[in-house]
Amino acid sequence: MSQTMTSQTEDFIPTRYSLLSRLQNRDDKDSWKDFFDTYWRLIYSIALRSGLTEDEAQDVVQETIICVAKDIDKFKRDRMFGSFKGWLRNLTRWRITDQLRKRKPRAAGKNVSPAEENTRLPETSEIPDPADDGLEKIWDEEWQTNLMDAALERVKRRVKEEHYQMFDLNVIRQWPANKVAKTLEVSVAQVYLAKYRILMLIKREVRLLEKQWDGSK
Amino acid sequence: MLRPIGRGSSGEVWLARNALGTYRAVKIVREKAFKNRRPFEREFNGILKFEPVSRSHDGLVDILQVGRNEAAGYFYCVMELADDVVTSSNIHPQTYSPRTLGQDKDRLKRLPVAECVRLGAAIASALGFLHKNGLIHRDIKPSNIIFVNGIPKLADIGLVTDASEGRSFVGTEGFIPPEGSGTIRADIYALGKVLYEISTGKDRNEYPALPELLDNHAETRDLILLNKIILKACRVKTWEGYQTAEEMMLALLAFQFDKEALRKREASQFLSKVFAIVGAIVALGIFIGIIWRLIQLMKASD
Repeated sequence: MSQTMTSQTEDFIPTRYSLLSRLQNRDDKDSWKDFFDTYWRLIYSIALRSGLTEDEAQDVVQETIICVAKDIDKFKRDRMFGSFKGWLRNLTRWRITDQLRKRKPRAAGKNVSPAEENTRLPETSEIPDPADDGLEKIWDEEWQTNLMDAALERVKRRVKEEHYQMFDLNVIRQWPANKVAKTLEVSVAQVYLAKYRILMLIKREVRLLEKQWDGSK
Repeated sequence: MLRPIGRGSSGEVWLARNALGTYRAVKIVREKAFKNRRPFEREFNGILKFEPVSRSHDGLVDILQVGRNEAAGYFYCVMELADDVVTSSNIHPQTYSPRTLGQDKDRLKRLPVAECVRLGAAIASALGFLHKNGLIHRDIKPSNIIFVNGIPKLADIGLVTDASEGRSFVGTEGFIPPEGSGTIRADIYALGKVLYEISTGKDRNEYPALPELLDNHAETRDLILLNKIILKACRVKTWEGYQTAEEMMLALLAFQFDKEALRKREASQFLSKVFAIVGAIVALGIFIGIIWRLIQLMKASD
């Protein structure tokens, strides 16, 4: 994980707390915490790539997760909504559109009354087109990256710390196994074993994440 | 009282000077800062228990006096003053800023391994003493370790509590183990995370990732050895970690005085595990062989 990601996570801690307090009446608060930790980066990243500011993107994360929490039972019951991936993409897009609608006119010199500011619709170019192939492609890329990151984060919490360090140097930083072994004062076999075990666990975790919301349909 | 030098969720800390001209820190905790009376009383009781213990160990900030104003709804404690971040023990009231490990970390990013080990051993010793007296700190982090005449000490005793009060989730995110704070093991875990941050220069949330620059120099070899102590302090499987702060202190002292012996011990621990596993597999093979042979003999005799 990069330093940037860490500071982003810290910035998001208040958002997570306020979101969880909005979901406090639900008896499955822990699973929503887990949901937030798994998907906030994906939603946040798409919102930023759609041209929103960091604050607006944080709002999109909150509102999207609230929508998921509100409608998840409906989604699970009705096949009409399609896959969870597609459903989450649509919810995210709609919340991004909502944020763009809230924007005040930015063009300098425009004499716009407060009433007009509140009712102004965004320019057509400001709203992401749901049928836009570019956004679809970005979503697919981000979805895969996010699944891998979320799976790695979950596995990291479960495996022995030494094994994660070997994996980090060997796979993520792409050091040769013998250099990892020499630096960490372990055998090359241990490095390979840690790499194999963690890769297996990540694959399993990705499969679980993919099925987590669709599986119940 | 000269001027405020710090503010926390429950009160403020002032720079003060006594009649003899000695500078002190005075922490004032106000009841109105809490939602109800219970946490205020708990904090006051924590201070009362900590006060006699504090002056018996060099690694704990000395509490010199505790007072309470029931009518005004506050209590205060007079403590020894941390060194100044620039002028050390030479205090200038107008510019004074307390030196904490948090500030050292921000300024230097990474501390030399030898310094981390020295500091870790001192704080582990103080923690062991606190635990032996039935107290838990609950909020160990770099900004709560101050320096007095260059000696590292555990400060911000606001969350110190009786060990019998059990688990809670107070403390600072990232320094709290998954099972919660309020236990001996949680204090050891937090100290492990402090050593991780100051030795790697990384944020605690990046744990257990190692620093980007790992070369072949002696400093890296030392960091890898210290890393083993840190990992043992922060084990998720609690039974595999240090059970007492003294255990951790002894490991850090062994590092300080005989690194090579510690290195050999760590290596031999791994080898003994490998031998144990190989031995168990061989024994199982022999056992299965004997059973199989017995079955063959029984079949032959039928």
